[in-house]
Amino acid sequence: MAAVAEVSAPRVVSPWNPANAVTASRYFTLPFFLWAVHNGYHQWATLFMLACGLLDKADGAVAKIFNCRSAFGELFDAITDAICYGFGLIVVAAYGWAPAVPVIAVITLGAANTIMRALYVKRAGRTTNYKSYAMERLVAYTGYLIGFATAGFSVMFFYWLFVPIMLVIIAYDAKRMLIDPIPPASGASGAMS
Amino acid sequence: MTDPMTPNQFLWFLTLATGGVSALWLIWDLSNLRKALKLDMTVPGNRDKRFGFSIGLVIATLGIVGSARAQGWI
Repeated sequence: MAAVAEVSAPRVVSPWNPANAVTASRYFTLPFFLWAVHNGYHQWATLFMLACGLLDKADGAVAKIFNCRSAFGELFDAITDAICYGFGLIVVAAYGWAPAVPVIAVITLGAANTIMRALYVKRAGRTTNYKSYAMERLVAYTGYLIGFATAGFSVMFFYWLFVPIMLVIIAYDAKRMLIDPIPPASGASGAMS
Repeated sequence: MTDPMTPNQFLWFLTLATGGVSALWLIWDLSNLRKALKLDMTVPGNRDKRFGFSIGLVIATLGIVGSARAQGWI
């Protein structure tokens, strides 16, 4: 019986794990990115933002390899996405490399999404992350968006088309997060997800 | 500080990193969507997948079109 209890007990993952370290390392790219933009180094700015985006992809792989996925890790990843990409967008708009109106719209909608996620966690009553397949794709697009601005690559095309897509996703996710029933925590969730 | 690439190399790098990745993404999400459409759509999570993969197709298409525009192909 004791053995059964041990097997079914939720696996606790420390927040100090390799996947979260990779996520945290993304913040190191931001000062270099700012330096490159400030000095007008378009290619270097693009490459630093690319590094930030690749580290975002790497943390998921590291979590699988070291078996250290956690609800906290997913939330930390989402928060890091918001901070890194929000920072990047503000910088490129401030330096006139990207149109300000869509950037303001994207940041406002991103802030609304963050608030909705917090309300979702409150509704759930546990540390959890609302998994949005659409938003995952949009976040990747956001990383690219900053790269388009630093590289001067079809900037107006990509920025203005981003806003209506984000509006549709936010509207869909708002219903799922604020109105629809929250799925119950699976076996080891709380600590794992 | 010198740039790591010539302007032409950089344009091609961006085209591959955007248009190339978008093309792979399009194939990937098309496959995901085909699988998702076979799932029970009364389950909210399955509807989320269908919606997410559809959005992925839209974004991937934009990536391909935007890259072609940057190259002056369209």
